[in-house]
Amino acid sequence: MSAFPAGTAAAAGLACCHICRKLAPQALRRCPRCGGSLHLRKPESLQRTLALVLTAALLYLPANLWPIMTTSQLGHSTENTIVGGIVLLMHHGSYPIAAVIFVASVLVPISKLFALSWLCWSILRHHPASHRERTQLYRATELVGKWSMTDVFVVAILVALIQLGGLLRVTAGAAAVAFGGVVIVTMLAAESFDPRLIWDQLETVDE
Amino acid sequence: MSEARAEIAERRRISIIWLVPLVALVLGIGMVLYTFVSQGPLITIVFADAEGIEAGNTKIKVLNVEVGLVESAKLGDDLSKVVVKARIDKAAAPLLREGTQFWVVRPRIGTQGVSGLGTLLSGGYIQLAPGTGEPGVRSFEGLEEPPITPAGTPGLQLSLLSERAGSVSSGDPILYKGFRIGRVESAELDLESQGIRYSAFITAPYDALVTSNTRFWNASGISVSASADGVAVDTAALETLLIGGVAMGLPEGIEPGTPVAPGESFELYASFASVNERPYKRSLQYVVRFPQSVRGLRPGAPVEYRGVRLGRVERLLLREQALEGLTGQGMPIPVLIRVEPGRLELPDTKKGMEELAQAVEIGVGHGLRATLATGSLITGSLYVSLDFYPDERPAEMGSFAGHATIPSITTGLAGMEQKVSLLLDRLNALPLDATLDRAGQALASLNRVLDAPDTRALPASLEATLGELRETLDSVSAESALQTRLLQTIDELDRTLASLRGLLGTLEQQPNALFFNREAVEDPQPPAGSP
Repeated sequence: MSAFPAGTAAAAGLACCHICRKLAPQALRRCPRCGGSLHLRKPESLQRTLALVLTAALLYLPANLWPIMTTSQLGHSTENTIVGGIVLLMHHGSYPIAAVIFVASVLVPISKLFALSWLCWSILRHHPASHRERTQLYRATELVGKWSMTDVFVVAILVALIQLGGLLRVTAGAAAVAFGGVVIVTMLAAESFDPRLIWDQLETVDE
Repeated sequence: MSEARAEIAERRRISIIWLVPLVALVLGIGMVLYTFVSQGPLITIVFADAEGIEAGNTKIKVLNVEVGLVESAKLGDDLSKVVVKARIDKAAAPLLREGTQFWVVRPRIGTQGVSGLGTLLSGGYIQLAPGTGEPGVRSFEGLEEPPITPAGTPGLQLSLLSERAGSVSSGDPILYKGFRIGRVESAELDLESQGIRYSAFITAPYDALVTSNTRFWNASGISVSASADGVAVDTAALETLLIGGVAMGLPEGIEPGTPVAPGESFELYASFASVNERPYKRSLQYVVRFPQSVRGLRPGAPVEYRGVRLGRVERLLLREQALEGLTGQGMPIPVLIRVEPGRLELPDTKKGMEELAQAVEIGVGHGLRATLATGSLITGSLYVSLDFYPDERPAEMGSFAGHATIPSITTGLAGMEQKVSLLLDRLNALPLDATLDRAGQALASLNRVLDAPDTRALPASLEATLGELRETLDSVSAESALQTRLLQTIDELDRTLASLRGLLGTLEQQPNALFFNREAVEDPQPPAGSP
């Protein structure tokens, strides 16, 4: 029995070129049009995704524990972590900004990591969850991933704008690098994930 | 078939991508380990008040370099203190020693200027002043006030004891010849001695100036004093006049002495005058009991020996006298005097004291007495004068209230007064009335004698006698016969004496002339041939 549902290109031994999207027999190994290598599915997609998700999770720890921003005010410097900054903003009554930063810096990366992990896990374990739900989850992951750099942007803009010499100065902390790493690695993880694996477990191409 | 093979190969092959999380993990663990290993010690500082201390925010600084961060500030177990836990950088851990001081830097305005202004905006921080003791201490008591002298400053720590707090307070300068060489660090009431104990610090290299004979006195304010020596006005530098201060120096004519150990105690004199009053450390105390008025004798009045200052009057021992019992027989007033051997150029030591005590004891046997003398006729102040009165009966030293006594006599104005009153008493005691009575009787009997007829006849017979006397005198006058005859007799006697002289001359040249005739003597001839 073929690993791929009947009626699909994969089942027919046809692969889509990654670069020029030409459908060609996988046996050729090379795309007859552009010369790119042909794969039925992205090679080692699950392993890569899982490894990158794990890396992102590891990077997420220092990104939250270390200060992301150091504010020097008349020689007296204050360091703020991501969560600390959100709490501070809430204390000052800036709930909308606090909410934006919370969503962009905490909610999005975590949900993305969990979503990718769960997708990989469900594929590996042949979880009987609905492929429709998994597809929606994947789409949501793709959607929020575009916004995950917000916090890094906030820091970058503040650092660039607030430089008043000894009076007031904002510098980026070590967590900004770690957080940037989290965002990049999750993007790569989402990139290496082959969504077609979701549907490969379907018996037939229905509907 | 080829698909199946591919599937197996995919499952078996472990992608190189797993190196990425592995490297991230190793780096992460490495960083955690590094942080843990390089983490400095956690110390505990106990403060009375947490003003300006904020957990996770307040820094600990040395020389304005950050060396630690306060991690928590909580109430202590007994809820009366603030226990601050702070993480100190590993590199700064050797600063944590016995004697290391911590205090919160806040804006302060004092006599030494304004400090800590930067903390107005930035918030306070905890200053660390490293100590010099054993390292490895992790628990400290925070100071409420910044120390005047940070721990570890080279110099000399001293204690100054004063009876009254006066105008000296912590932070006041210590001056030597008007130059600032140190500071008063703290002042506290010593319950044991009921005095004020000041902690003073003399900064190096001036600490070498402090020796065993150094005196400290309160140099603040203006002191005006009127005493047996007259009126004296003392002022110090303007700064000390305004904010107070302690002056340091040697009394006149005193050797510096030996260097002192840290923590040595010195007396803080009330003024420079009182330093000169009591420039000597060793003194002997005697009691003199005066059987006369001591009005004008004040504590501090001089004690002199033939005009040389020996010491001072301490006080009247009335309480001790009362304890001994009032006899109701005109008790003398006991006066405690202090005599200093150093004033007589004796060594200011125990040996000098013994020497002086011996001299006084021998002196009393030879008539050494204490008297009250008038120092100033205007103020009426008295002083105690010691001198020898060899006419006094020999006396011995007694004892009163634990002190040896020096016998006293009264001289001076008081002595004169006493002598005059003695004289008047004697005059009073003379039997004048009886004498006058007898004189009156004598005069009466004389009157009777004069009134008698015989006495009245006396002038007439007296006149007759005088007449006869005149006649007798007339008979011996120059023209009288008696006189003429007397002159003739004298002339004859003269002639007789002249012839007798001739006889005597002959006898001298020729003793045998009484028996033989006079021989003729040839005239002497000059010898021939003489030119």
